[in-house]
Amino acid sequence: MIRAEGLSRRFGAFTAAQDLSFEVKGGEVFALLGPNGAGKTTTVRMLACLIAPSAGRARVADLEVGREDDAIRSRIGFLTESPGLYDRLSATQNLTFFARLQGLGAREAGARVARYLDLLGLTGRGDEPVSGFSKGMRQKLAIARALLHEPQVLFLDEPTSGLDPESAHVVRDFIAGLRAEGRTVLLCTHNLDEADRLADRIGVVKQRMLAVGTAESLRHQLYGRRLTVRLRGATDAQVAAARAVASVREIERDGDRLVIAVPDPETAAPAIVRELVRTGADVLSVTEERRSLEEVYLRVVHEGPGAGS
Amino acid sequence: MSGARVGAVVVKEMQEMRRNRLLVVTMLLPALALTVLPLIVLRVLRAVPQRPMSPDEVSGLLALAPQLTSFSAEELLQVFLARTFLTIFLILPLILPLTIAAHSIIGEKQMRSLEPLLATPIRTGELLLGKSLSAMAPAVVATWLAYLLFFAVAPWVVTGRVYQALLDPMWLAAALLLAPLLSLLSVSCGVVISSRVNDTRAAQNTGGLLVLPVVALLGGQALGWVLLDYRLMLAGCLLVALIDAGVLWVGVLLFDRETILTRWK
Repeated sequence: MIRAEGLSRRFGAFTAAQDLSFEVKGGEVFALLGPNGAGKTTTVRMLACLIAPSAGRARVADLEVGREDDAIRSRIGFLTESPGLYDRLSATQNLTFFARLQGLGAREAGARVARYLDLLGLTGRGDEPVSGFSKGMRQKLAIARALLHEPQVLFLDEPTSGLDPESAHVVRDFIAGLRAEGRTVLLCTHNLDEADRLADRIGVVKQRMLAVGTAESLRHQLYGRRLTVRLRGATDAQVAAARAVASVREIERDGDRLVIAVPDPETAAPAIVRELVRTGADVLSVTEERRSLEEVYLRVVHEGPGAGS
Repeated sequence: MSGARVGAVVVKEMQEMRRNRLLVVTMLLPALALTVLPLIVLRVLRAVPQRPMSPDEVSGLLALAPQLTSFSAEELLQVFLARTFLTIFLILPLILPLTIAAHSIIGEKQMRSLEPLLATPIRTGELLLGKSLSAMAPAVVATWLAYLLFFAVAPWVVTGRVYQALLDPMWLAAALLLAPLLSLLSVSCGVVISSRVNDTRAAQNTGGLLVLPVVALLGGQALGWVLLDYRLMLAGCLLVALIDAGVLWVGVLLFDRETILTRWK
């Protein structure tokens, strides 16, 4: 649904995005994760046909960026970093204006506006000027604006930035709902928890694409997979028995706790437990070590594309 | 060019304007002042004895309007002053919409609404035309009201013969044709400048230069060099219409979405 090939954008001597290549499949939520100034917004603006790439090419909703821009704009919804609503106008007037720009007839626009106001819990506030809305309500309205014409592809630029936890929760729930509806979503964020919870795959970007994959695959790629086994009164013999299991690559012992590197915990764990029990060990717990996305992200951002190799 | 999208922009702009009563009032006040003051001047002129005009001055005026040979010197003065005031009304469609036009694109940028707007299928020409039409409408209506008010009150201010002399279809053309065209010129320039600078004051100041041709026409009339007549009015309409089309075309060419989105802060 979205394909970027070598996408770059320079502003004079400054390179905002360089040689970005990635693909987002239909119905997928893909998060572009990166620090401020990493080129996330620039990338989305290129894909939304708001600015032209300096190099590379892209396709959005099966249309070529730079050649079929008007058609692309009618098939995408774009939630910009700032809601950008007309404060003097009511919620209904704001949405109706955008519905009309997207080519909806007056009657259809009215029905869609009513539907989305209802969906986002704003039905009773439709006639109020937006200037009196809270940040969370404004963000919900901006999301409704991006969805009015039922676009195939959604670009969400920092959708929960500046929101209080409750509003952010509501917005995240809504985005999760979009995934359930099968929409293709490109989410720009520097909120790791948000990316971890919402995205099917993550692209870590800092001008260049540093890493792409699911949160799990990035964890595995960078840190490998590890089991933590807690024993009661671990002995050297038990450690040696665990080390003898074929799939075990490395063992670190920390008192009664063993950290064991394995390629596939699902098959390795039973074998290791069997060996430990055979040597008389009391196995208290076996868990797979899970690195936080924050650790993964910081390592990728600091070490660059070669991180983990 | 989609009429629906242009219409959507016009409706949105009008809705915003309706919610900003101060703006509407500050637009109407100059129009009212510019209409009432000439009426007061003409009334005073009639009531207070004036210095008699010299034969040279009278013949100079008659040379411009030979059809008024039967008029007294006082009546001649009233006619020429009233015509000057009616020409001044043509400044209204130039200056009244400037504030709105100057704010049009800059305002969108300041409200951060330009990016979501440009992410829709709206074309630059549609956006600029919608902005221009909505900015010019109140100014044109205000100009029409000024002409209507003037001609409604004038019978009580000037003599019957002077009033008859003022009832020239040329003013109908001025109100219905030239005023909208001048207004479109003003707002098109304002919108274009608004899309090139990021300060409404700069846009307003630059757009203010547009009144100079009308001021030049007034000066020419005051000096007796030229008298606005039907032919001059139609030629002016044609010229302004051509300039309007050119400014809109240039505006579309100059409207750089990227620069506006990425460089304006």
